[in-house]
Amino acid sequence: MRRTGNTLQAILALVMVALLAVQCSPAQPAPTAAQAAATEPATTAASGEATAAPEATQAAATTPATSEADRASVFVYENPSQLPDLDPAISYSNDLIVMANAYETLTVYNAPGSKETLSPGLATSWEHNADGTEWTFHLRDGVTFSDGTPFNADAVKFSVENTKKLGVGAAYIWDAVKDIQVVDPLTVKFILSYSAPLDLIASSCYAAWMYSPKAYQDNGQDWFQQGHSAGTGPYVIESYDKGSRLVMTRNEKYWGGWKDGQFQKVIFEITQDPVVLQQKIVSGDADFTYSIPPDNVADIKANNKDIVVYTNPSYQNLLALLNTQKPPLDNKDVRQALAYSFPYTQFIQGVMGDRATQAHGPVPANMWGHSDDLMQYQQDLNKAKELLTKAGYPNGGFKLQMTFSSGDMDEQQLGEVWKAELAKLGIDLEVQGMNWDAQWELGKSDPKKAQDIFLMYWWPDYMTPYTFLKSMFHSEDTPLFNLGYYKNPNYDKLIDQANEISGTDKDKAASMFVDAQKILLDDCPALFFYDVSDTHLVRSDIKGYVDNPAYPHAVFVYQLTRQK
Amino acid sequence: MAAIPLPRDLRKDGREGLTGFRKRRYNRLALAGLAPKALAEGSNHMRWLEYLVRRLLMAVLVLVSVSIITFIIARIIPSDPAAAWVGSHPTAEQIAKARVTLALDRPLYEQYLRYVGDLLHGDFGTSVKTHQPISHDLETYLPATLELVFASILIAVIVGIPLGVLSGAHKGSWLDHLTRLVSIAGVSMPTFWLGLLLQLLFFSTLKILPLGSRISNDMALYHPIKTITGFYLIDSVITGNWIAFKDVLVHLILPACTLATYPIGLAIRMTRSSMLEVLNEKYILAARVAGLSERVILFVLALKNAIIPTVTVLGLSFVYSLTGAILVEVIFSWPGLGNYVTNAVLNVDFPVIVSVTLVVTVFYVFINLILDLVQASLDPRVTLH
Repeated sequence: MRRTGNTLQAILALVMVALLAVQCSPAQPAPTAAQAAATEPATTAASGEATAAPEATQAAATTPATSEADRASVFVYENPSQLPDLDPAISYSNDLIVMANAYETLTVYNAPGSKETLSPGLATSWEHNADGTEWTFHLRDGVTFSDGTPFNADAVKFSVENTKKLGVGAAYIWDAVKDIQVVDPLTVKFILSYSAPLDLIASSCYAAWMYSPKAYQDNGQDWFQQGHSAGTGPYVIESYDKGSRLVMTRNEKYWGGWKDGQFQKVIFEITQDPVVLQQKIVSGDADFTYSIPPDNVADIKANNKDIVVYTNPSYQNLLALLNTQKPPLDNKDVRQALAYSFPYTQFIQGVMGDRATQAHGPVPANMWGHSDDLMQYQQDLNKAKELLTKAGYPNGGFKLQMTFSSGDMDEQQLGEVWKAELAKLGIDLEVQGMNWDAQWELGKSDPKKAQDIFLMYWWPDYMTPYTFLKSMFHSEDTPLFNLGYYKNPNYDKLIDQANEISGTDKDKAASMFVDAQKILLDDCPALFFYDVSDTHLVRSDIKGYVDNPAYPHAVFVYQLTRQK
Repeated sequence: MAAIPLPRDLRKDGREGLTGFRKRRYNRLALAGLAPKALAEGSNHMRWLEYLVRRLLMAVLVLVSVSIITFIIARIIPSDPAAAWVGSHPTAEQIAKARVTLALDRPLYEQYLRYVGDLLHGDFGTSVKTHQPISHDLETYLPATLELVFASILIAVIVGIPLGVLSGAHKGSWLDHLTRLVSIAGVSMPTFWLGLLLQLLFFSTLKILPLGSRISNDMALYHPIKTITGFYLIDSVITGNWIAFKDVLVHLILPACTLATYPIGLAIRMTRSSMLEVLNEKYILAARVAGLSERVILFVLALKNAIIPTVTVLGLSFVYSLTGAILVEVIFSWPGLGNYVTNAVLNVDFPVIVSVTLVVTVFYVFINLILDLVQASLDPRVTLH
């Protein structure tokens, strides 16, 4: 036996695997990845249930199912990705679908079409001083956390301060908060270092959950990550098989009380393969899912009466940031010419179907600060040619590099369609797919050497137009997300002012945000392609479902019942 | 003959004191007539022990090399772990803070030494995506994958080897043709396609097997398995949770069979070809003349020699499946290592990538070692050097 040969082969093979592994990574920074900790066997609540079902459980071979009644009282959410974080202080991913059932926020951002923007959550009312630097929240009485400790002003103070201190995830949304004062057990006052819309911030689906100070201090972060919860929400985490499923059971102490017909348990089952997801919802094993291939959704919609398909605009949109610091895109005429070159309508109709609607500027439809009156660029190749001629490029004759997240089929198709259109103007578009990290690293490098066009999605961490307008277009000394390197002091001033008054005078702020968008549409530091729509599939016997895109993909199971 | 000088250390008179490879080298020379006389070899046990120690030292070397290489690759690819630690929309301040938290502001060698130091204490570091200790994750994902891969290799042994023996023994018969067809299909069938097909047949149409996952939702609700080893089959037996045991077994069938197709194909082909070779040996003829039953000839006398290459390829296929089972794991919602590392790769979660690479290296090195030992014990012609 020759050892050296084998050892060498082993090293070589592993190095190659490692190389492949680190280099061929596509896709977005978004969901996926692995998560929390060891499996904890179900607690007392489960064993209580066990008495109800054991005989039936032994019956069938495959789904040793419990009786009909048991299945009826369980809501099954088939989730297409992992649940990375179960710690309410740092949860910043699609694990919010669990958070939304275990925890609550002070205020709640309403679904589109509601009369008011916000509803009371754990705070029943709130007010602020004239310049929006002091906010007082009056808390709901008689609320306890699932661990039995009372929810009060101290708990609010602890939750926000702890989240801020950890600084991970969307913790930055509380940056304006200088001090939190406990006025009395049911009144808490936030002192801000600058004016900010704290009512909106408090409704965020990330970093704004209220959790039990005692549970957090006694058990530590790891306890939450291993599949435990201590919130005021209607359900509490009962068990967690990492990578497989998370089971929640009723929080019997829930302040809202319980009525007949509400679900006893909620299961979040992780199924990453879209075809299998589809089989689960079609067979009735699951009550809710999303991320089914679009073609198949159309088929289900047409042929399956047991499933209701909800397609609603989300607050996510797709943009192309244009490098304003590097020729030829440092010329506004060339940028506008590009904006006139893309076939918006045809692309959305032909490729996206009902998964997208053309954007009016960077603020997505349904969000305050959005205006349908803002101009939309439409394809007009003659106008584009005129603008190019004006800029000194009558026959194009230049090359542009566009980067996008490899693995995103929509972005890729968009690039290819655009390439064909730009070729008509004599412009050569290089469509370069990269994994998100590499794309972003290039974007953050020297603007003179970076890409010409940066394709990316944006979505808000709390419901404000400012996140879209600031992150991608406010001047930055070192590029972070302003990857078109746009610099316009007047614009900066306008949105900063609008943000400051957005807590005190939302209407005025909204109109200022609209004005800011007019500047962007004229200056054209980006192309605003479309707002993304989400498609959710729900079994038709589930009643009470409302899609609220402010809490992406969340199902508030407390509001649901199953029709008998 | 004297024209060829002996190595210096063998020339001296005290060659009786030679040990290890020097003694063996001396003996080889003696055998070739270049040295006066052969020295007595050590006992068989000693040779095995010495071999084992040497291989283990080699293994450490391999692990260190692999850890350095993956560590460096993970650091030089364009990505920002500090930003990943914060999340999708980090601010500059958050990134700066995370850089300090993760010690990314320290020099590279210091980061590596710190990593190795933690590793020696059983700490694989923390995932930048899930903010959790990787050792916790491995405790879940490794047993899940091992359970699946063990099951598939078991199936491959039970199905593949007998088919290979029969196919080799009846060369040219319909059984041989059929088996060869099965083996070609097995090695060339894309697992994701087969997996979906089996799901369609056994779940959607026949409704006799579940779609995926390690246990059903009902079991998780009403008969949860207490985690002891992480192997659900073992844990359910230990705790006497027989209902769950049955459920786990039922859930294991489709993914294990899907994953087994490749090793089955390999086992058939390897066993068949070495059977063909062995069956032409004179000792088989002698056995036949002696009137031994065909079953004993095939499955005892011939197989003992023919099985050696099969053991090797099955062993390697086992290691490959640890992370190579990713497609099967995704389709069957199996929370395994392949799934885990793929997600880590997609998120450029380098502490996880490095850790999983190390774990797989450990398996690779040790399975190789075990294979060599097994081979040596099965085949007297193989000597350990």
